[in-house]
Amino acid sequence: MSFVSVRKLQKRYGASQIFHDIDCEIERGEFVTLLGPSGCGKSTLLRCIAGLTSVDSGHILLDGQDLVPLSPQKRGIGMVFQSYALFPNMTVRQNVAFGLRMQKVKAELRQTQVEEALRMVELHDFAERYPHQLSGGQCQRVALARSLVTRPRLLLLDEPLSALDARIRKHLREQIREIQRALGLTTIFVTHDQEEALTMSDRIFLMNQGRIVQSGDAETLYTAPVDLFAAGFIGNYNLLDPDSASRLLQRPVAGRLAIRPEAITLRLDGELDGQVLSHSLLGNVIRYRVTIRDVELIVDVLNRSPSDLHPAGQRVSLAIDTLALREVA
Amino acid sequence: MRAEPASGGLYHRVVVYLLFLILLLPLAGTLLYSLATSWSESLLPSGLTFKWYVALWSEPRFLAAFGQSLLVCVGALMLSVVLILPLLFVVHYHFPRLDALMNILILLPFAVPPVVSSVGLLHLYGSGPMAMVGTPWILIGCYFTIALPFMYRAITNNLQAINLRDLMDAAQLLGASTWQAAFLVVLPNLRKGLMVALLLSFSFLFGEFVFANLLVGTRYETLQVYLNNMRNSSGHFNSALVISYFAFVLALTWVANRLNKDKP
Repeated sequence: MSFVSVRKLQKRYGASQIFHDIDCEIERGEFVTLLGPSGCGKSTLLRCIAGLTSVDSGHILLDGQDLVPLSPQKRGIGMVFQSYALFPNMTVRQNVAFGLRMQKVKAELRQTQVEEALRMVELHDFAERYPHQLSGGQCQRVALARSLVTRPRLLLLDEPLSALDARIRKHLREQIREIQRALGLTTIFVTHDQEEALTMSDRIFLMNQGRIVQSGDAETLYTAPVDLFAAGFIGNYNLLDPDSASRLLQRPVAGRLAIRPEAITLRLDGELDGQVLSHSLLGNVIRYRVTIRDVELIVDVLNRSPSDLHPAGQRVSLAIDTLALREVA
Repeated sequence: MRAEPASGGLYHRVVVYLLFLILLLPLAGTLLYSLATSWSESLLPSGLTFKWYVALWSEPRFLAAFGQSLLVCVGALMLSVVLILPLLFVVHYHFPRLDALMNILILLPFAVPPVVSSVGLLHLYGSGPMAMVGTPWILIGCYFTIALPFMYRAITNNLQAINLRDLMDAAQLLGASTWQAAFLVVLPNLRKGLMVALLLSFSFLFGEFVFANLLVGTRYETLQVYLNNMRNSSGHFNSALVISYFAFVLALTWVANRLNKDKP
């Protein structure tokens, strides 16, 4: 049996169903991500696992033990919040020591464990500071140390990087993943950011409107979206209705078609039946809007040299990798 | 004072100092009068003395009134801390919707003028099983209602600033019971708001006269009632009383501000 197993979990607030029959299995040591747009129920699911929100029915098994009847204090779960939730009246050291204090760990032992946790997040020089004297990234690392020091069975991360700026976010992302691997800690990470999800996770649960739409590793999710929502949420898929798809491929297509923008190549030879509408430089990638046979497509081209940059109005021909075509429901 | 460009700075400073001067003038006059041996026919007092202060601070009736004022105020504030803190916690943590109702409720003590509500209170508590008129208890109860708006608003602002829910959640996941979380995490972070509220209410209640006079009067004389009763005695003596009162509140405010300073 899996380490964490959620079975038929239901939650509603009044008339609105937050999620419905959630089933998922997580292995020991796995880093899984709940990915979805805001309001899809991912944060509520996380809070239910932590015990901060009650569930209507269903079971959450952690290492074979049903968590639903347990209070949050007894679940042995660590959590990191988007708002850091550091205690402003305590120093970094006191914040990290709080969980051990609650468990009545002896002072000397507490000291060494706090020191160790702070060293892990590289903040041992900041132990005597107060949270308001730290930057956002440092605050979140303290919060991480605080939730790790009690050796939780399961670590929950509720959009921990959303309040940080891009550079810090990338760095902290790697640091979290390293620590998680080193400790072999089973972790559930909640985010609405597909890049975070794709780069960090062993497995991703894609959620929409209170359901798990698709689960799988980053590669599966990216290359094989199961439905329109998955294709629209991950990557920058070109989504075509059957009419446009048939016109584009010049053969009848029954369903909707999803084409990844990087699976299309622009060429300047052959039949120049396409035209560049506009382009924008994303850095290493140039993103073109191209029209061909009255179908508008997004095409991503690697920015190798200045000759890759085609001006608007340029006639081009398109080659589409047929393996990358996906029909979605 | 903040650095200002020189041209506008002078004008602003003059206005501020002028305002200070106008506000301080009556106080300075009172101070001088309380220190004067006699000051009736000349422009300046004829001599300076501390005898009015000595007389005041050795007057048992004044000391009793001072103590009684202190007792009633502290009693009322203790009652409000004990009742309002848990109330606020429950409202904001469990029933956030009640906040709107509370905001209307706390305006009531302001909506009804003290003279009107004291008539009602006299009627209600004058006789019967709850006869409290003339005892300090009715003042404590009444002052509680006056302190309520100050306490509620100041602490609410503080609560909204600390992200109560996440702090409670974090503390509970780390193994703290609701009580431990409230005492170890939430309460210390409300210290600022609580101190501001207590100080504000204390200076207001310490100077309260209408309720004290109408509900209790001379049967349990507070400072303001004593001052009123002494209005026909020596003006020098009364000035010494007013200055003593003022100095006490000032000293208290200063001490409270010092204690409330941010940790380094």
